[in-house]
Order: sequence, then C-alpha cells, then structure tokens
Amino acid sequence: MSLVDASLAAGYTLGDFLLVAAAGFAVLAVGMLYRAVVGPTMQDRVLAVNVLGTNTVVILAILGAALGEPTFLDIALVYALLNFLMAIAISKFTVERGGVL
Amino acid sequence: MSGSDSGVDTDAADTDAADTDAVSKPATDGGFGRDRPPRSDGRLDSERRQGTPYTESQVIMSTVKIVTPFAFTYGLFVTFHGGGSPGGGFQGGAIVAAVVFMIAFAFGIEATRQWLANTVVVALAVGGALVFAGIGLVPVALGGAFLQYELLPIPDPVKYGMEGVEILGIGTIVAGVLMGLFFVLAKGFSDAGGFADADAFDDEVGDGTDGDGEPTDAESLDGESNPGGPAAADGGEP
Amino acid sequence: MTGALASAGPLGAPVVAQVTAIEASLFVFVVLTALFTALARDVLAAVIIFGAYSLGMAALYTFYRAPDVAMTEAAISAGVTTVLLLLTLAKTTRLDHEAAFESVNLPAAGAAGLLFAGLMLTMGDIPAVGSADAPIWSNPDVTQWYIAETYAETHVENTVMAVLAAFRGFDTFGEAVVVFAAGIAALIVLHREVFA
Repeated sequence: MSLVDASLAAGYTLGDFLLVAAAGFAVLAVGMLYRAVVGPTMQDRVLAVNVLGTNTVVILAILGAALGEPTFLDIALVYALLNFLMAIAISKFTVERGGVL
Repeated sequence: MSGSDSGVDTDAADTDAADTDAVSKPATDGGFGRDRPPRSDGRLDSERRQGTPYTESQVIMSTVKIVTPFAFTYGLFVTFHGGGSPGGGFQGGAIVAAVVFMIAFAFGIEATRQWLANTVVVALAVGGALVFAGIGLVPVALGGAFLQYELLPIPDPVKYGMEGVEILGIGTIVAGVLMGLFFVLAKGFSDAGGFADADAFDDEVGDGTDGDGEPTDAESLDGESNPGGPAAADGGEP
Repeated sequence: MTGALASAGPLGAPVVAQVTAIEASLFVFVVLTALFTALARDVLAAVIIFGAYSLGMAALYTFYRAPDVAMTEAAISAGVTTVLLLLTLAKTTRLDHEAAFESVNLPAAGAAGLLFAGLMLTMGDIPAVGSADAPIWSNPDVTQWYIAETYAETHVENTVMAVLAAFRGFDTFGEAVVVFAAGIAALIVLHREVFA
C-alpha cells in the first residue's frame, strides 16, 4: 500500500504507472483480438483466446497491485485455472468438429 | 496461407460433388485430414464417429492431471471462504463443475459419465435445494421467520448459518446442475424417447392436426413442426 | 489521466473527462468483441470471440471494484458457457460458406441503432462512475447501512455475500431454485430422464 502510493516522478505514484501499464496491456488485448477475429484457421483463434486469457490475468494482477486490492488476485487465479479449460475445450472441439469429445 | 486454404476449399467441393455415390472418399478424408477440421462434411453421423478413434492427447491428459487438484482445491476455497473474500457458493460451485468438465475433456465424456454416476449429480442438486430449504425452515419451526439465522441452535448462528447456506445449499446446487447440464448436453436430444409416452403423445397430436387430408408421415411431421402455417392458410382462404 | 477516477467530479460533469485510459481501452475491447460476436459467420468463431468478450468484461468489472461480479463472470463464462456452447455445437450441422462475416440486416441494425440512441439520451442524467453523489451509493438507509452494519450483524466481512445470504436470503432461495429448475428443464427439453 505504501509502496504503491510512493511518489516516483513528477508527482505520479507507482500506482499511476501500474495503471498505465494495465492500460497498455488492455490496448494489446485489442491487437490480439485481431487474430481471434481474422484468424484463418481455428487454431489461430484458440491461440489468440488463450493469449487473451493470460493477458487478462496480467491485467487483473496489475490492477490488484495498483488499486491496493489483493482480493483481485483471486479473480486472476480463477482465470489462470479456467482459461486452460477454454483452450482445451476449443482445441479438442476443432478435431472433427466435436466428433472426438 | 491463402493458397493452401483455397486448395482445401476445392478439395471440400470435390467431396461435396462426389458425396452421393462415393463411399471411399470420406474415409480417406477422415484418415488424412485429421489435422485439419473437415470443411463441408456437416454432421458426423454415428457410424463415422464409431470409425474414428478417440484421440487421446498426452499433453492434455498430463496437464489436466496436474491442474485439477489445484483447481478443485481453489473451488472449495472460494466456496468456503466466501465470507472473507470475493466469491461464494455460486462461483465456487461453478469452478468445481468446471473441474469436472476439464476431466471430461481430457479423458473422454463417456468415461467421466461412468465415473461420476447420475446418482451423485442428482444428489448434489436435490440435496442442495433440500439443505437450503431446511436451513430456512428450522427457524420457522422454532417460531421465527424464514431464514432467521439467529434462532438456529448452533454457535455464532448468523455466520455459520450463512456459510451453511452458501456451502451446502447454493454451492452444491450450482455444481450439481452444471455437471448435469454438461452430461445431458453431451448426450444430446433423445429422439428414441426417454419418456415412454412421448411417441404416443406425438401420434395423437399428428392425427388431430391433419384429419382432413391424406395423412402421410412427412405431412404429419410438417404439421407438428409448423402448426401455424397450414392452420393460418385454412383460416384465410374462406 | 489516471487520477481522474479518484477525483470524481460533481453530478452533471461531462462523462468523457472522467474516463481513464484503462477504462477506455477495455471498453473498446468489449464493444469490438460484442460486435464481432454478432457479425461472425462461423458459429465456432462467434463462440471463441464471445469468450474473449467475457475476459474483457471481467477486467472491467474488476476495475470498477466489483470483484464478486468479476469472479462470477470468470467462473461462468470461462468455465461453463463456452463448454456448454461447444457441446451444443457438436450436435449441429455446419453449413459451408465463404464469407467471414454475416451480412448486416439493415432494418435490424436500424432498430438497434435507434435503441442505442434512445439509451444514450438518458446518459446525461446518470451520475458519473464512482461519484459519491450517486443515489445507489449515498443512500443512508440501504447501501451505507449495509456497509456500516454488515459485520456487526452477521460476522462476515464480505458485504455482497451477507446481502445475498442473509439480508436478501429469500430472494437467493428463489434464485437457487431457478438454477435447480433449469436443470430439470434441460432434461425435459432433451427428452431425458437421467443426467448421466
């Protein structure tokens, strides 16, 4: 808490810089969305959504640090564990379109 | 990339054109094209599904073996620790059900269906609803209002009454119902009829709708699936 | 730019001035994923993009300090909705098509645009995000009472859970029964008698 509130440069605290970093990751998510939408094959989309999930975990962790709310890490953990389920579900579905489920 | 895509498209078109008479073509397609999803096959019928071997992925199975204990423990943590951190019965039950989905995707849905019996799923859902109603009704029996936790005969009744509702009520209902939805959706629509009377009921409806025409099977099916069409036409003409 | 949330302006201040950078980028992400979910021609692609939509919504909920809602979004969307939609898709027929995006139905788009414009007309009367003057926040009889009295009344720290299980326990009982009924309804619709 005190570390996040510490002033780094020009009156901006560490929390401000972390928020800017989280905003940067959110902008990157828009770039990853391009691959999820355009991706010529389903494998591209699976990978894109997997990277998006990891990106969301990072955003949530940075937000938890920047806003001084450690409970945000719980949500990040849920995503870290369940994003894997989404990836394997879609990737096994793409084999013969659900024929092997 | 686009070149290979167009090649696959023409391949798929060829399969479509020759689909009526050629039997060997889908077989070779299923043999060699497994790394790429079939483009235009449409629904895989049951014979085709029997013919394709279940592709067990070593990567997925090993990873699921490692991840599921942690995910299950975390689901229990979210359920049991809902009073002090974000979460609660609903979220924790969903995570626990997601662990079962994970196991089913890695080791096969049919195998998971045999491992997790229908009795367990139904007991979770029904037991949760009964426990929630029971915790609510105990204060009523003691002369209070529904869910009036202060009257529960336990220490720190409000806190542990709430925890009991969250853990044994909501969490088990959500986990059981989500697992059940998963299994029943994976099984699909039962056109053979899970209900004994379903066919008889359908026949009665079919006979009633087209009693004036020459009832063939196709016509009665049409009348069932779209009852508004013929009736509206009949009403509009005179 | 990032400090605007802490110093939320008074009621009636322009909304644009208080949107922080992370809010704006997450909002763009969510709107884009929602649009592409509606426009994607392939249903599997739509399901995948819908998963991405839920990721953005969970981050947005988290930024607005609603961790319980964010966790529900995470558990339900990442864990359950995608899987159930994929299982349903496995039972369907895939039509072959060349176009990547659905052609837009112009009357439907016009109706949606009119609805959007009508909703935007009400935006001026909505208090700013995080405003201390918002009625839902400043109400001393409901929200402030919950925040002040939850621990003394129920001995749990999570106000959301206390509201769900204790103060509004009867409503939650109804919701749990609705979830239970959803499972039974799925059995009836699919003509089954057992889940497994």
